[in-house]
Amino acid sequence: MYTCGIDVGSVSTKVVILGKKDNKIASYIIIPTGSDSKNAAIKALDNSLKKAGLADNEIEATVATGYGRINIPFADQNITEISCHARGAISLFPDLKIVIDIGGQDSKVIKLKDGKPIDFLMNDKCAAGTGRFLEVMARAMEINLEQFAPIFIKTNDKVNITSTCTVFAESEIVSLIGQGIDKNKIIKGLIYSIADKITSMVGRVGLDEPVCMAGGVAKNLGVVKALEENLGIKINIPDEPQITGALGAAYLAQNLH
Amino acid sequence: MCIKDKLKTRVQRNLNQKYIRRLLNIIAKKPVLYAYGSTFSSLSDKYLNIFTIESLRNAYSNNNHPIGYGSLFLPYEMFHALGITPFLPEVMAGFTAGLGLATQTLKEASSNWYSQDLCTFHRSASGAVELDVFPKPDFVITTNLACDAAQKSFYIHSVKYNIEKNFYLIDVPYEYSKESILYLTGQIKNICMDISSKSGMKLDTSKFKEVINLSNEFRKWAIKVNNLRKTLTNYPPYYNGLNFILPFHGLAGTREAVILYNQMYKELKKYLDKEEKEKSGKNKSPKRILWLHLKPYYKNEIFNILERENCRVVFEEINYIYWPELDPERPFESLAKKMLSHFLSGRIDNRINVILKAAREYKVDGAILFSHWGCRQSNGGARIIKDSLNKLNIPTLVLDGDCVDQNNSSQGQVKTRLQGFVEILNS
Repeated sequence: MYTCGIDVGSVSTKVVILGKKDNKIASYIIIPTGSDSKNAAIKALDNSLKKAGLADNEIEATVATGYGRINIPFADQNITEISCHARGAISLFPDLKIVIDIGGQDSKVIKLKDGKPIDFLMNDKCAAGTGRFLEVMARAMEINLEQFAPIFIKTNDKVNITSTCTVFAESEIVSLIGQGIDKNKIIKGLIYSIADKITSMVGRVGLDEPVCMAGGVAKNLGVVKALEENLGIKINIPDEPQITGALGAAYLAQNLH
Repeated sequence: MCIKDKLKTRVQRNLNQKYIRRLLNIIAKKPVLYAYGSTFSSLSDKYLNIFTIESLRNAYSNNNHPIGYGSLFLPYEMFHALGITPFLPEVMAGFTAGLGLATQTLKEASSNWYSQDLCTFHRSASGAVELDVFPKPDFVITTNLACDAAQKSFYIHSVKYNIEKNFYLIDVPYEYSKESILYLTGQIKNICMDISSKSGMKLDTSKFKEVINLSNEFRKWAIKVNNLRKTLTNYPPYYNGLNFILPFHGLAGTREAVILYNQMYKELKKYLDKEEKEKSGKNKSPKRILWLHLKPYYKNEIFNILERENCRVVFEEINYIYWPELDPERPFESLAKKMLSHFLSGRIDNRINVILKAAREYKVDGAILFSHWGCRQSNGGARIIKDSLNKLNIPTLVLDGDCVDQNNSSQGQVKTRLQGFVEILNS
């Protein structure tokens, strides 16, 4: 039998189907959430079942997480991203003490003790410090988001981005470009502005190693490197950081029956 | 639509002093008031609402009693002894939220240069003053105890009503000492004398004694309620310990406060007895929560979420009886000691000691500090409070939000934080 974890985020919906006996991922899928989170969840589940070659009656239990977690008709329970990310990250890095999750809409830092969350902080009041911030800035600079990491690595200097609001930061960047400032330095500054916000959140819960980073932004090696530099540590990144919450949800679904 | 919602809509549509006065005069008429009172499911809830309406009616009616604006941490016994009808703008700001008026009052405050950074209790009250919705005061009394915003915004109210000469600021010293007691006693006495001579209301010693005795009686019942709650887990559905700010402060020294707390004790005792009888061990014990600071006063889901997640708020910091019994023979000195004993006065250690004592006595599993936007006196201590509770292995959630402005946080975000916190308590 299998369990299913579904993470309905603001940008993407992730499904993980997990083998109950062997704890192996039978399939996973990431699709855009779009405007209808319920339909996205149904579609993601269908696709992942197809990918795994399973029928829906082979799924013993389903846990939903993410901002759209309460609206999933086929879920047996909804559990917050805090517990799900913690559980998913622990399954990958058993001695973990901190999980940093930067998603499309929010960022969170979760502190763990003996594999269980004991404290957390969330930033969901403003888009600065989230994946959305990087997307908006990439668009403003007419640069592909994938180019951010190589630019970060090869550029030595940075320009400080002083605006904390995404909208004002966008205007500030347009103005910096207008002044003829090197785009690469601006990109490096943008990445540091996210890393600095997360660093202060880590400071508030108390830095402890090992640290893992999950969520879509963990795929941006520039942000990872800036964070590593700020915190003075090495950060563990899952092979597919975006599915950590869904993976945790699938593990937590194992406790339901 | 029920009668309460209809009233709410009418006030929203007719936000002016004249209409509120007319409405209060109708509601506060005995047959109507009793009919309104009968819509509440318990006597204590009925008393709370009736006493609140009567207190407001007195403040809005143009009778001969002077009206005194007062900030939250004043000893209201002095108002009652002087025959001044108290009106608490900060508490009324909570009502503006509950009645769905805060959007209008906050907008008005914003148009009048009140900073967005200022606590919304003061901003909403200031907006209501600017809109001329509150009754005109004869005196404005405030203190620097705990809240920094009160002394500024209350002074602005006195300017607005052209009564700067009737503005009084009680300066509460940082340390509890003999000198502080003397200094504060002198201030309270002088203010009372000054108000008495200006208002023509004689400061009667026997009246003051009666007020002090009533205050002690209220204190006695409030302590009994608090002691009872140490073992109580399940509460009547109408009960929320964060709803008693007006009686706890503004009605201290009145018979109404005694009646209310006595009734509350009886009702909670009945619940406790029932709980003892029904102890079967079948149900999973709820998680016991200590609530720090205030709550949102607009319609919100916080307590429903906690209820659904099998959590009970077993004590609220604001209901802690921090002052010693008052001496009716030395009323001014007693009130000075009451103010100086407040745990929000002086060092943060005073507040932490009260929190830790409550955490132990009420055997709490977790604490929630509602971090009200702009409230420096409370939020400034968040880190040290959280660390102190963590040393007792009590997880603490610092829940960012706003008690008055519902646009300052999102229900979804609050829900995720609360649910995540409960998951930690259950793990």
